[in-house]
Amino acid sequence: MNLFSMLELSGSALGAERMRAEVVAANMANAQTTRTAAGGPYRRQMVVFQSQSRPRFSLALNSLSHENPAAVRVAAVVGDARPFVMRFEPGHPDANAQGYVAYPQVDPIEEMTDLLSAVRAYELNASAVQATKNMIQQSLNLLQ
Amino acid sequence: MTNSISSLRILPAEITPPDATAAAARGGEEQDSFLSTLQQSMDAVEGAQGEAQNQVAQLLSGQGADVHSAMIAVEKADLSFQLMMQVRNKIVQAYQQVSNMQF
Repeated sequence: MNLFSMLELSGSALGAERMRAEVVAANMANAQTTRTAAGGPYRRQMVVFQSQSRPRFSLALNSLSHENPAAVRVAAVVGDARPFVMRFEPGHPDANAQGYVAYPQVDPIEEMTDLLSAVRAYELNASAVQATKNMIQQSLNLLQ
Repeated sequence: MTNSISSLRILPAEITPPDATAAAARGGEEQDSFLSTLQQSMDAVEGAQGEAQNQVAQLLSGQGADVHSAMIAVEKADLSFQLMMQVRNKIVQAYQQVSNMQF
């Protein structure tokens, strides 16, 4: 039933936005982390979304039905390639030879706007699920 | 016998696009495939409800099921069940109409 596939589509978007909010929260939590297991300061993470068609074994069936909806998935969580922020703290245990400590390049304003955008997108997709549910209920009311 | 079976065809005709002339011709055979369709849809509803219960149980026990996927599974189960109830009501109506036929 294609209306159910709409539910799954919005569900995948909800999962992707939740992952994005989680990554933003991780960035915020590790904004001052100078030491990680891999050595060096925490590198700011970013998510990469990718749209994917649901795999179908019969392409002929695909062409007969209407356009295949594209679900969203998180393709990768990559580190930001920007250079670290260097602060002069000679007494810090993680300071290098010149007395500079490398801090993660996490800007709180940037993270807050990302978080707000992720929350808004989550609400957007939740209302899409609500609308789909209403549509299905309306079609069920036809039987009454 | 053929008449009552083909008049039970009014039930799926209300749900699917009607094909009244072919329905009268197919008669008795459609009885079996209609019942099997009903059985399949009931199995599907049961499957959806089981899936929904699993997801909610996982969510409550904290095993990392997403909240939204559990909610969507519950919603799907609910809608499938409502559809099945509507179909059942129509079957009962059709049966009552047939049994009320006087000669």
